[in-house]
Amino acid sequence: MKNVMGLVFANIYDSSLGQLTNKRTQASLPYGGRYRQIDFTLSNMANAGIRHIGIVTQYNFQSLMNHIGSGEEWDLEIGEGGLEFITPYSMGATNTFRGKLEAIAAASDSYIARGKEEYVILADAAVVCAIDLEKVMDAHIASGKDVTVVVKEGIANGSKQLDLAVRMDENGEISEMAVDYAAPEDYLASMGMFIMRKDLLRKSAEECVSHNRYRFEREFILRDWDEGVLSVGAYCFDEVALFNESTEEYFRNNLAIIDRNIRHSLYREGLTIYTKVRDQVPVYYGENSEIDDCIVADGCILLGSAFNSVFFRGVKLSTGASVKNCVVMANCEIGIGAQLEYCILDKDVKINAGVKLIGTMEHPVILNRGDVV
Amino acid sequence: MNFQKKRCVAMLLAGGQGTRLYVLTENTAKPAVPFGGKYRIIDFPLSNCVNSGIDTVGILTQYQPLELNEYIGNGQPWGLNRSHGGVQVLPPYARSKKSEWYKGTANAIYQNIKFIERYDPDNVLILSGDHIYRMDYAKMIKYHEEHDADITIAVRKVPMEEASRFGIMNTNPDGSIYEFEEKPKQPKSNNASMGIYVFKWSILKQFLIADEEDPKSENDFGKNIIPAILNSGHKLFAYDFEGYWKDVGTISSLWEANMELLGTDPEFNLYGDGSAPIFARNYALPASYIDVHSKNVNCLIAEGCEVYGSVKHSIVSTGCKVSKDVVLEDAVIMPNTVIEEGVIIRNAIIGEGCTVRSGAVIGGSFREGDKRQIAVVGKDHVIEKNQVVKPGEII
Repeated sequence: MKNVMGLVFANIYDSSLGQLTNKRTQASLPYGGRYRQIDFTLSNMANAGIRHIGIVTQYNFQSLMNHIGSGEEWDLEIGEGGLEFITPYSMGATNTFRGKLEAIAAASDSYIARGKEEYVILADAAVVCAIDLEKVMDAHIASGKDVTVVVKEGIANGSKQLDLAVRMDENGEISEMAVDYAAPEDYLASMGMFIMRKDLLRKSAEECVSHNRYRFEREFILRDWDEGVLSVGAYCFDEVALFNESTEEYFRNNLAIIDRNIRHSLYREGLTIYTKVRDQVPVYYGENSEIDDCIVADGCILLGSAFNSVFFRGVKLSTGASVKNCVVMANCEIGIGAQLEYCILDKDVKINAGVKLIGTMEHPVILNRGDVV
Repeated sequence: MNFQKKRCVAMLLAGGQGTRLYVLTENTAKPAVPFGGKYRIIDFPLSNCVNSGIDTVGILTQYQPLELNEYIGNGQPWGLNRSHGGVQVLPPYARSKKSEWYKGTANAIYQNIKFIERYDPDNVLILSGDHIYRMDYAKMIKYHEEHDADITIAVRKVPMEEASRFGIMNTNPDGSIYEFEEKPKQPKSNNASMGIYVFKWSILKQFLIADEEDPKSENDFGKNIIPAILNSGHKLFAYDFEGYWKDVGTISSLWEANMELLGTDPEFNLYGDGSAPIFARNYALPASYIDVHSKNVNCLIAEGCEVYGSVKHSIVSTGCKVSKDVVLEDAVIMPNTVIEEGVIIRNAIIGEGCTVRSGAVIGGSFREGDKRQIAVVGKDHVIEKNQVVKPGEII
């Protein structure tokens, strides 16, 4: 898909993820044992042949830049195009972007206009999925609509606040649209992915911003659709899509990949998920280890026992330690006889021998990067 | 072309046919044979180069070079994708008039004199592509320079009763070599050559040219070049190396070296002290899934695996599937192999990309005191349902 560029928003839900995004963007949240959430977004784009991607980020982006580097893991470094970071200051703005529209308007001339592509796909890193974007593009072209939004069934539940939700009629047309709304179950939730023509996006963003409108979903998509000046279609995605918009969702969805069906939907043939490579040794399982229903990344040394947990790279689990229903990020060390249940251990956490920490599914114990307990 | 001078260029001999690895080297050069779950044999000398600060490496290939070429690529995984130096795969030249195979190890270097000259090095390090070890070549080069040696040969002590299987360096108390004996019947010492040489480039070049002109020469380092330099009164020194080193040129040594990675204090620790990591080409694979019914004991399992069965004292490489009710014991499973339900594999090496269908039995138990028989299945084989591969059988 040489005719499409990508635009990724890296900071969307930072504020609802609490201490996990203290020092990183939501996009660089670790996921699935060896990934960052943005790996899925970038890989989906790269797998569809998109070669020109802008990443909009404004806070805490050091770990993100460090992770993505030149983009070579996604084959994005090649020649012109490739990967670019769009930050407020690099775009000449004097304040941070208040919303996606401000970011788009700021990058409109200097970045978005530059490439030869006619179309643009907007996405964020809050929804983890493996999606064939070529299919979405084909559907968009076939529909003749101005904008296609990718939606997912089964997310709306009457209590989860959705940025954008739509209801469809029997002809597959959008009959109702709502923003910032805890929509009931018969609504489809937007996955934050939109396809449209680049010139339309630029024109709309510039116009909105000149009228002090900066909220993409509310003040552009909904408003213009409502006024009948914008046609919007929905593409229903039928594979697994995990919405990580709060700490609780993040925790639940990290453990979700232990489920075979979810795992196999995220790691599908032809939709390889790329990430930054690290030289780690294969995992060593000790003589008395007891590891059941776990996801384990390279570099771990597992001598204790674990159940229903995710181990990122380089974790050391000592003899007699027990870990249940936990997300253990890179390079954590868990001491002899320690006992952990329902915890999120951020990177480099050290749990001393014999320590016992028990959380719940709804309220996991969260340890900050580098904590020693 | 105008190139900046390099203190040392490494030349890695990767052309050996590896016939003693049988089916494992049928379509693969020996240095490209998988090792230790996610590595290939060549990762060890290459990583040693990088960790020793050597940034210019020529890899001399000959037999079945395709997979090796692809694996090395631009050298990026080892940080050797450099505009000046870096890693270069050097197949035998296809010259305008004649295309020549490398006649021997020395001839392989001779044919690449021009490559070495571009860097105008003081020293050339000659390495083999079939050894597993971790070594700081910088220390050896320093020793070589301090002794103003013409050649420095890395040696390690082997048990005296095994010395007749090796090239033995007999040395004076100062470490200088007065005699070299290839596989002596009555060895005088137990300093075995490790096939790692540092040459003063000016001397090596001179002897390579002379050797090439000698029609009787086998063009081999051990048989021709080193004796010739020694006999002409040059300074040869032995450099003692004490760490782990293993020639993995046979089925049993390859199996053993894999097993020696296991344990909480393994004979060869892949982690080392952290200062000299082993680099490898990494593929985009998810973290492994370990099922509730699996039982993994004293084993290494690399990324991209799904493990439902039991893995004991074994190596499972990247991208493998170990199904329910499988028993792996003392086994080496190379990358991307699928093992279906109920398969039993003991004392065996299963090549890359194999499928072992349900109910098959490969290899067998080992009884203390017997000679261990390693069953081997070559790359991309399919072992049929309930098929039996006997202990020691190679298919």
